[in-house]
Amino acid sequence: MTLKVPLVLLMLAAALMAQTGETEEQAPPVEEPTISVEETPTLSPEPLSPHHGVDLAPPGEIMVVDNPDDAGDRLIVSFQPGGETEYPEYFAGYNVYRRVYGGTEDDWQLVGILLAGEGTAMVDGYDPDYPVLTGEQYEYMVSAFFLDETQVFSAPQKAQEVASGQWFHTGTTRVLITCALFMGLIFFFFGRAKRGAEMYLRPIAGIEAIDEAIGRATEMGKPILFVPGLSDISDVATIAGLTILGRVARKVAEYQTALIVPNRDPIVYTVAEEAVKQAYLEAGRPDSYDSNSVFFLTQSQFAFVAGVNGIMVRQKPATNFYMGMFWAESLILAETGSLSGAIQIAGTDAVVQLPFFITTCDYTLIGEELYAASAYLSREPMQMGSIKGLDACKAILMVIITTGIILAIVDMVAETRTLAWLQNLVTSHVTD
Amino acid sequence: MKRAVPLMIVLVGGILMIIQYFIPHQISQDVKDNYTIWIPIITAFALVLGVGSLTRLHGHKVRNRAPNWPYSLAVLLPLYLVPIFGLLLPASMAGGRDAPSVFHFAFMHIQVPIQSTMFSLLAFYIASAAFRAFRAKSMLATILLLTAVVVMMGQVPIGELLGSWFPRVGLWIIDFPNNAAKRAIGLGVGFGILATQLKIIFGVERNWLGGAGD
Amino acid sequence: MKENIWSRMLNLDRRWIFLLIGVVCTVPFFVPFGLPVLPTKNVISIFDYVETLGPENAIFVSFDFDPGTDPENMPMAVAITRHAFARNIPVFFTANAPLAQGMLEAGFTYVTNPNIAGYFHIVSWQEWAPYREQGITRRDRLQAAWEADGNVLPENASGWVFEGRDFAKLGYLPAFALVIMGMTSSIEAQYPEDMNGNPLAQMPMLQEHKNLRDVDLAATFSGSAACMWWVLYAGDTISLPIAFGVTAVSATDYTMYIQSGQLVGQMGGLRGAAEYEVLLQEAGYFEHPDRAFIGMDVQNAAHLLILFFIILGNIAYFAGGFHKKGALLKGRR
Repeated sequence: MTLKVPLVLLMLAAALMAQTGETEEQAPPVEEPTISVEETPTLSPEPLSPHHGVDLAPPGEIMVVDNPDDAGDRLIVSFQPGGETEYPEYFAGYNVYRRVYGGTEDDWQLVGILLAGEGTAMVDGYDPDYPVLTGEQYEYMVSAFFLDETQVFSAPQKAQEVASGQWFHTGTTRVLITCALFMGLIFFFFGRAKRGAEMYLRPIAGIEAIDEAIGRATEMGKPILFVPGLSDISDVATIAGLTILGRVARKVAEYQTALIVPNRDPIVYTVAEEAVKQAYLEAGRPDSYDSNSVFFLTQSQFAFVAGVNGIMVRQKPATNFYMGMFWAESLILAETGSLSGAIQIAGTDAVVQLPFFITTCDYTLIGEELYAASAYLSREPMQMGSIKGLDACKAILMVIITTGIILAIVDMVAETRTLAWLQNLVTSHVTD
Repeated sequence: MKRAVPLMIVLVGGILMIIQYFIPHQISQDVKDNYTIWIPIITAFALVLGVGSLTRLHGHKVRNRAPNWPYSLAVLLPLYLVPIFGLLLPASMAGGRDAPSVFHFAFMHIQVPIQSTMFSLLAFYIASAAFRAFRAKSMLATILLLTAVVVMMGQVPIGELLGSWFPRVGLWIIDFPNNAAKRAIGLGVGFGILATQLKIIFGVERNWLGGAGD
Repeated sequence: MKENIWSRMLNLDRRWIFLLIGVVCTVPFFVPFGLPVLPTKNVISIFDYVETLGPENAIFVSFDFDPGTDPENMPMAVAITRHAFARNIPVFFTANAPLAQGMLEAGFTYVTNPNIAGYFHIVSWQEWAPYREQGITRRDRLQAAWEADGNVLPENASGWVFEGRDFAKLGYLPAFALVIMGMTSSIEAQYPEDMNGNPLAQMPMLQEHKNLRDVDLAATFSGSAACMWWVLYAGDTISLPIAFGVTAVSATDYTMYIQSGQLVGQMGGLRGAAEYEVLLQEAGYFEHPDRAFIGMDVQNAAHLLILFFIILGNIAYFAGGFHKKGALLKGRR
């Protein structure tokens, strides 16, 4: 009963994505001009090539259509080759000219060059000096140019379509379906949590040790150091770290333990300051709040680490929390803290820094355990619901990965291409 | 009001940015451009707050001759002097940002060596951490130890001399088992980010509000 | 007595470890081993890709690191810059942070330092203005005209680099991720002038490569996740080929992007830079490898010492019977 909704969502999503996969066609890649617009390749002066004196058919059948899935600033120009193909050793490429429909001879602008071998189609509008305007009616002319700097021009052709912006990028259909599926699952579990459903979360040692660590610092009469990561506020790990800071600060305020919160980012500093201040207020000890406990240190990565190491060595905190995003400085931080004898609890989603924290800290929150910390600490139903929603999303992913492994083995044994079908179903390459 | 306005900004902005991703129309691009231009503006103002905080903290220590107050002076003096040399003083007074100004000297001969030195501490700490951590206490610890030795020796020329298989096996370990585990953690982190962002956008998570939160 | 030796060994004062590391990191500078460095596929792929480029292409070299990771990232950035200059590939230099701009200046100065053998001699924007006015902007014609007017390349120089034709130092702009996004449409809209105040619109290299779609490679060197901005906002959106140069600590984080085809290749740590220098030497661009290769001797020695400590710790652990006791001194002071 409880799995009905997620299963229905999953089946619907799979059906929609399969349909998208069948009908979607990849547009052929369009080559971009790679040489100067002002210069076309030339050799030292050559005698006239054999095409002179011959009535060469110019390139023709120019087709100009709106580029799909864009902001209305591109057109696709394609044409049929002319007689130049009979002289491949002298033919150098095509020039594509454009002007506003009805303009004068002087209004022609060279908007693209296709060298020999680069095909007969291009996307007009990438050049910032010659932008395509939405709704503007253009006409195009193509010339075939040769190594002796001669050109054979086509007749001007009014563009069959004008550039227009689309309101939905069809290449993102699978992304939309996936987003809807995963967000739907998370909201479903939000709803379940609000209705009071029991949700079990496995215990995480690092989070359960937070109270013990704070108590230790209080008993020893030493401060607690909390580093909310080195990233900026847009990083989710920083927000998760600040959430934990709020909880820690409330406990610290109750126990009247000193708290030190150095910050690398000025915006994170302002949020951290407010969070700690609020925590003291809620604990009923606004007078105990020390405005110097939360401060901005420096934006420089290793200068920040040097500063924090200095704090550890001088003030010898009993407990160190490292919660957020860390980079190469993580081992320097944690090892210095270990040397100072502090109990250390770390949490980061920076996978490459986890080994350093695991070897030097007493407890480590790995990856998403950091994000789950707010649910663990608050035990609010909505927070718990989000964790269960995540688990459901991961279950779907595990099914897809397992299916992929099985199909890869089947392909190896039976020489089929079933894995390609699954790859086509679940991947989406969205380019601009 | 103090809570409602930021929450409304986040709700509207978050939903708008989600929808914007799927709409290529120029109006959508203009909305994104106008939104994102605020980032450097807010960052610049926040930097002022940050410098103010640092000045207040260390100025207090210097004024009251708190323990280790000379270090606070060592923080404040360069904080203000170096920008003065870089921005306000002319080249004739060793100003400017190009060699041989004071700013350039301070950057190349003080800041660069000091920061490089800090990073070089990793070498020492990795050695002591490796000595402490890489012990064959259990089966898993033994596997960790052996893997670390193989990968380490595969990374240096002397490992290639000792055994030509070191680099091959080391690279295989990095390319396959390591990547598999990283991808698994990365997927979990990605979902965690998704859930946290949704909680923030829809107001379930309010700690980022600081004092205006729950 | 026996037990004391083993427990003393297990609880060896960190300061002995630090001292020995300091010694082994210093000695190789005076007694170089010169062991060969074999290039690996991730570095070879970057080198081979740059080998396919020439004066008609363009690359970005982005100094996205601060002085902390200078010892690892700078040799990589210098190596690829020298490779590009040797092949007359136009290079746009950028930086993602104010400190990174200082690194850009330091790296560029190193490549163009007359005191270093194999340097590249700068011809400033103003110096070759007369040739520009005559319409001589193609690389081969410009150098021919420049040398025909009596300009002789100094003996220890590898070649000329013309500002605005071979390189443009764009420098740092705030919110660099947004700058990358903007450069997918127009480089000049983001950088109307270069770091020296020269107008980008007049530079031949910009006239030929107006946005990131016209660029053939972006090589980003970073000690943090800043390199991912290039993948997110340029590599995945407009399929710009990206190469990474990252610290050894971060290198394993990005190998999955090589497997997925989002990266051309990756230089990881000092080893990656040393491999690139060896490739440059083997291809005949330069006579000797550079600083990174010298640094590999130090890495050799340090790795061996760490291995020794690991073995020592395990010997003490088992010989002292600690694996049986199940209790271990933590070794904290």
